[in-house]
Amino acid sequence: MQEITDNLFTPVPKQLNEQEKITRPSITYGQDAWRRLKRNKFAMAGFYFLIAITLLAIIGPYLQKNGYDVQHLTARNEMPNGSYWFGTDEFGRDLWVRLWWGTRISLFIGIMAALMDLFVGVLYGGISAYYGGKIDDIMQRFIEVVYSIPYLLITVLLIVMMGSGIWTIVFAYGITGWISMARLVRGQILSLKEQEYVLAATSLGASPWRIITKHLIPNALSFIIIQITFTIPQAIFTEAFLSFLGLGVKVPLASLGMLLSDGVGSMRVYPWRLLFPALVFSLMMVSFNLLGDGLRDALDPKFRK
Amino acid sequence: MYRFVLRRFAYMLITFWMIVTVTFVLMHNLPGDPFANSEKLSIEQRALLAQEYGLDQPIFVQYKDYLINIAQGDLGVSFAYPTRKVTEIIKQSFPASAELGMESIVFSVIIGLILGITAALKHNKSWDYSAMFIAIVGVSIPSFVLGPVLQYLVGVKWGILPAALWNGPSSRILPALTLSFMTIAITARMMRTSMLDVLHADYIKTARSKGLSQSAIVLKHTLRNAILPIVTVLGPITVNVITGTLVVEQIFAIPGLGKYFVQAVYSNDYTLIMGLTIFYSLLLIVVMFLTDIAYGFIDPRIRLAKGRN
Amino acid sequence: MKNILEVKNLKVSFHTYAGEVQAVRGVSFELKKGEVLAIVGESGCGKSVTSQTIMRLIPSPPSFIKEGSILFDEKVDLLQLTPKEMELIRGSEIGMIFQDPMTSLNPTMTIGKQITEGLVKHQGLSKDKAQKQAIELLSLVGIPRPETRIKQYPHEFSGGMRQRVMIAISLACRPKLLIADEPTTALDVTIQAQIIDLLKDLQEKIGSSIIIITHNLGVVADIAQRVVVMYAGKIVEQGTVDDIFYRAQHPYTRGLLHSILRLDDEKGELVPIEGMPPDLLAPPTGCAFAARCQHTMNICLKEDPQPQLIQDEHNTACWLLDKRMRAGIS
Repeated sequence: MQEITDNLFTPVPKQLNEQEKITRPSITYGQDAWRRLKRNKFAMAGFYFLIAITLLAIIGPYLQKNGYDVQHLTARNEMPNGSYWFGTDEFGRDLWVRLWWGTRISLFIGIMAALMDLFVGVLYGGISAYYGGKIDDIMQRFIEVVYSIPYLLITVLLIVMMGSGIWTIVFAYGITGWISMARLVRGQILSLKEQEYVLAATSLGASPWRIITKHLIPNALSFIIIQITFTIPQAIFTEAFLSFLGLGVKVPLASLGMLLSDGVGSMRVYPWRLLFPALVFSLMMVSFNLLGDGLRDALDPKFRK
Repeated sequence: MYRFVLRRFAYMLITFWMIVTVTFVLMHNLPGDPFANSEKLSIEQRALLAQEYGLDQPIFVQYKDYLINIAQGDLGVSFAYPTRKVTEIIKQSFPASAELGMESIVFSVIIGLILGITAALKHNKSWDYSAMFIAIVGVSIPSFVLGPVLQYLVGVKWGILPAALWNGPSSRILPALTLSFMTIAITARMMRTSMLDVLHADYIKTARSKGLSQSAIVLKHTLRNAILPIVTVLGPITVNVITGTLVVEQIFAIPGLGKYFVQAVYSNDYTLIMGLTIFYSLLLIVVMFLTDIAYGFIDPRIRLAKGRN
Repeated sequence: MKNILEVKNLKVSFHTYAGEVQAVRGVSFELKKGEVLAIVGESGCGKSVTSQTIMRLIPSPPSFIKEGSILFDEKVDLLQLTPKEMELIRGSEIGMIFQDPMTSLNPTMTIGKQITEGLVKHQGLSKDKAQKQAIELLSLVGIPRPETRIKQYPHEFSGGMRQRVMIAISLACRPKLLIADEPTTALDVTIQAQIIDLLKDLQEKIGSSIIIITHNLGVVADIAQRVVVMYAGKIVEQGTVDDIFYRAQHPYTRGLLHSILRLDDEKGELVPIEGMPPDLLAPPTGCAFAARCQHTMNICLKEDPQPQLIQDEHNTACWLLDKRMRAGIS
């Protein structure tokens, strides 16, 4: 502590504009959320893994010359080796190529589901919530009834009608799968409409468009993103399930579910045929879930420490 | 409360009716011939069969008959097994599926709750991580991979438990376990989140300010409020379990409904498909209805609000 | 007169991802038995952290107590107690009322149960006896038909009623000390007056000492006998109610008083204090109020002022009151 001398007791001239300086740098909502997400090691691991898988799904098949349905009858049931990195199945098809093709298909299904969530679910829920009143009531009744019809049953019925295959699965999702998203969005927008900052923005003279784009949607967006992160693995999982029952994509196309199913069938004799698809599939599921959890924690503004 | 129950009941009926109708419409718009799988039939034989099944009647008459039959509990006769009525098939094979399903649900909800509660109480410590790890495994390894692996390792290689079939209590273990994983995962994670939410609530601070012990706070204040959201997902959980039985029954050769359902789809056995679809739907709708009611009872805000109207 | 509470040099900080936030930076005050002390200050000044630290209610981590002692009833340092020992004190010796009555009660438990819990635990009463007491308490806090109300749930009560219930809960075991953390902030103005009257009434009847935390000077004038003014985690001035209202010395206290609109003020202008409180992540050297003060001196920017006695119990932490300045400043 320095010496307190008398001359220190003299006034200091004021600089008024210094006072409003907020010492902690202010950051946008997006930056804050990204920073928080980055600190969650598990979520980031999941995120990077998913990127890696997607890249592999895109370029993987091209790393080998073989097509996914090309049969090399002289090289059947081979263990992983130099020319067939993941080995071959009973028809001599290159499992490396088939695995990444399968991943493509599964990811495609997941993305289609997500898109449907986005376009049908969000719109439906948004319209329902925005208009409220009678329209909301009717739209909600409709949803309640459809919600009770299990997705799997519809899918099976449609499969019976339309035959199995990618588009049937996607179509079935188009009928019932987006409902969770619609309900979520509706719930969010309904409560957002009542929030005081919407009232504040209105009273400041903001136009409805500005309110929607700058206030309602960004806040609902975080929930939408989180929901999609869980929808995609759900859709992929369901497809795998159907594949196991023989109701999945058509042969010779391979989805992860088909590969798993094949692998299970021969796991005692050729375990690698189950191992690789199982690894990719499980890690993909885990990654989506970790990422989803991480996003949920990162995007909730109440958790800001 | 009564009005609440009545409304839910009415919804249940409407939904059921819709499903029944949708099933009917779908089935009658199917391409191809229901008799495509049978041996070559002559035209007269086809006409006879069509008459037998009422397929030659105008659509509205068929619909009316269909509804009446359902109301009386008659779901028709299986195409693939012409000597057996659908309801009889259901009666015979449902008990096995029901038992499998119930065992799985009870087991997995209990384990899931325990895992979720401990994870929340030991937040961010090793218990939390291990519990969540188990949960993650549950959602990432599908039952049709887990089942056969368990079957092989535990059933065949180590010979501890029966690998298949439905004889005796020990044969229930592997299938129920396989079926449970996903539910355990869902329940554990939900419970953990719910507990953490409640533990941060203001009224828990009030409870602490009264000097209550940690265990009293958890048992009397936290649990009851944290469990509420779980009740709402009991419906979807049951859905998952029921659909799960389709696969598990295949893997473990269990004589339940799932087996018949899959077969029916393969063989285009329309009446059986329709009948089973209706049956499963009814099951699910009733479950949703019951969980709605249960939630209304547990949460006093709903229970009393409706009652005082 | 005995001191029911002696807080000495309390320092409480929080670990955050950005660093250590020093919420309470050396707070010392006393509460005499039977007295009502008001802690006043703006949001973020550390008044809630101080009061909740007395009850050891702040989760630790992320909070931690850097320094200090809290002597209760001249017998025991609350900061040294084990959690189990603290449990015995909470609810029975010290009670607390929280700010938001809408969220401070368990929605799935009857009001009666929430009152009797404490009675059963601390006084070992049987359920029946506890229930009877609960009914008495409810009528004490002014809730009509308590026998029926006992079985009801929080959502069946209005905001003001719920706060009365909170008061009943906190006073159930006749604690020696009651801490009221902004008890009226979330209520309508008319209800506020009722609650404060109730507290005054109960204080006389039960004889508890009260610490009331508020940023409403009207409430302070109504119920308090002594006042502690906090700013940026420290006490800038303390004294009797009269000292503070009529003889305030610290520029911040004076600013607070000037910023209230008075009925007899003809001009009717609101005079706010310019600027904002400092970020407690990096508290400034010197006096925390220096940036907003009209009388800042060089010393204020370099050294933190210590409490200077003005007279009797009135002291303030301000360099303007240093003996070197006394000669020139009134």
